[in-house]
Amino acid sequence: MSSRLRLVLACLATAALLAPLTWFWTTSLLPEEYSVMDMGYADYGGGPAAELQGGHTGMDPGTHAEMGAGGTSIVALTADQERRADVKVHLRAEKREFELASGREVDGYTLNGDSPGPVIRAKQGQLVEVRLDNESVPEGITLHWHGLDVPNAMDGVAGVTQDAVLEGDSFTYRFVAEQVGTYWYHTHQVSHELVRRGLLGGLVVTPRGDDPADVDALAVVHHYGGHRTINGDEGDVSVAAASGETVRVRVVNTDNGPMPVWVSGSPFRVLAVDGTEVNEPTMVNGESVLVTAGGRADLEIAMPDDGSGARVEMGGSAAMVLGGSRTDVPQADAPETFVDLLSYGSPTPPDFDPSNPARSFEYVIGRRPGFLDGRPGLWWTINGHMYPNVPMYMVSEGDVVKMRIENNSGEVHPMHLHGHHALVLSRDGVEATGSPWVVDSLNVADGESYDIAFVADNPGVWMDHCHNLPHAAEGLVAHLMYAGYTTPYMIGRSQNEPE
Amino acid sequence: MKSVYRVLAYLIALGVVVQAASMVYAIAGLGIWVDEGGTFDKAAFESDETLFPEVVGFMIHGMNGMMLIPLLALIFLIVSFFAKVPGGVKWAALVLLAVVVQVTLGIFGHENAIFGALHGVNALLLFSLAVTAGMRANRPATTPVSSSESERELV
Repeated sequence: MSSRLRLVLACLATAALLAPLTWFWTTSLLPEEYSVMDMGYADYGGGPAAELQGGHTGMDPGTHAEMGAGGTSIVALTADQERRADVKVHLRAEKREFELASGREVDGYTLNGDSPGPVIRAKQGQLVEVRLDNESVPEGITLHWHGLDVPNAMDGVAGVTQDAVLEGDSFTYRFVAEQVGTYWYHTHQVSHELVRRGLLGGLVVTPRGDDPADVDALAVVHHYGGHRTINGDEGDVSVAAASGETVRVRVVNTDNGPMPVWVSGSPFRVLAVDGTEVNEPTMVNGESVLVTAGGRADLEIAMPDDGSGARVEMGGSAAMVLGGSRTDVPQADAPETFVDLLSYGSPTPPDFDPSNPARSFEYVIGRRPGFLDGRPGLWWTINGHMYPNVPMYMVSEGDVVKMRIENNSGEVHPMHLHGHHALVLSRDGVEATGSPWVVDSLNVADGESYDIAFVADNPGVWMDHCHNLPHAAEGLVAHLMYAGYTTPYMIGRSQNEPE
Repeated sequence: MKSVYRVLAYLIALGVVVQAASMVYAIAGLGIWVDEGGTFDKAAFESDETLFPEVVGFMIHGMNGMMLIPLLALIFLIVSFFAKVPGGVKWAALVLLAVVVQVTLGIFGHENAIFGALHGVNALLLFSLAVTAGMRANRPATTPVSSSESERELV
């Protein structure tokens, strides 16, 4: 073969290899700024398509101008502006070096000088007002109320429900604490980094009447510098409790992966999951509870009569010791089995009828090689599509929505839906037979699939994403959008980066 | 071009060496961490912090394996089109194929450990292919001719 021909062939072969790669690379690049309303494709779930002009327009530069042409802006979705606040909180966010309760030095972020930030407490029905001042966080900050179905404009997602609060600025959140239970709050601006480095805190809503438990302990679990802490303290954290008393331990997993929780020295009951009370919980002995990333579990431990205490083991590397310093309860080995919430407790009719959903969506998580905003790698897919070509789940207010979440990606994903609580109907085809299992953060292991249902009763634009925050930053994010509503906010490198 | 081919082949082989070393370094570090009282679970692993110093081995293995080596293998194939190494394109293609198999096995190893075992075996195959390809670039392009033949050509 002549060397000229060979050279030509070589160049052609090179072009054949590089051309498609270059094309994929180019088409993966994200615009400088974009609205979630222009992202991906609208998925109507078999229900009627949105009739109003405003709303999802698809990733098409020409239609950008149509945005806001019709429909209500979510900016209007706030709590009652006239009502006076019952609980007022002032949070000042700083980027600084600080000392944990354990004495360890951390270079991160604080709220009012601490991390975790102050616990926000309210009684059911009270209006909570939180003024957030960004004193020195150069990345910007918002606050998202994880698990609370607040009005959309108060949801705290930068680029979707508000602009990130820049350094020197402030933002006031107001919402009614309608749901009783254990929750937490964290930033939703550059969340994959700033939550890890300290911008979080616990939030507890108690019922109007007296609390049935004698002792109520909150355990906000978070890793700092690779070390697991409970409320910022490492190792064993003591909680005073006398023999015969009942203790309610509220476990909050603020990390990016699931955590097994078990109790040494005593059986226990699971009182609530993600804030929703379990109906007729039974005694658990020798099993763990899996608390997923972002999720919460409230455990009830009856202190033994003989004065020995109990330990609530957080993954084995930290524990909440109940019973004060006299306690000498040995750490029990991690149980091999988990409480199966699908069949735990007793059934009771749910507060809506999931049998005839107006919309039926699929959220199938996979993984494939490709480019993400120009970066090559192995990236997450939703229904076969990589970010930003992800589905926008369209609903109308009042719809009963069914969603099947399936995970074929090789890794566990803790899935979190903003603004709503979903009822788990089945897992891997097995129907739920226990107390209604209601979640806002669901642990979807590799190979698992869940059918969940919820009512679209909170209008706005809501994130539905993996709460392993680095995964969310890699594009494992979708949105739920109500017909007739628009958001004026944009995601972009210049200001708003929710993940 | 031939030396570029050779260098790339040996770089890929070196990449496999780095992969093996970094993975065992990380696992050894994990063993020491646990031995000294540390705990390793999903929440800790995903917290993105340095649990123990050797955890960097996992990161090196991931980035080198999923980005650097595949990129080298792709460039290697393109260079083989121009390099005039006997069988050069074929060997570069085999190396690229082995890299693709290797990454695939590595990914599936997260679901089923048997694929991890095969990933270990394929690493040796990939190393051999890369070294063989590199050695082929050392050979002269034609076999030495006898003195009488070379005289005839000169005429």
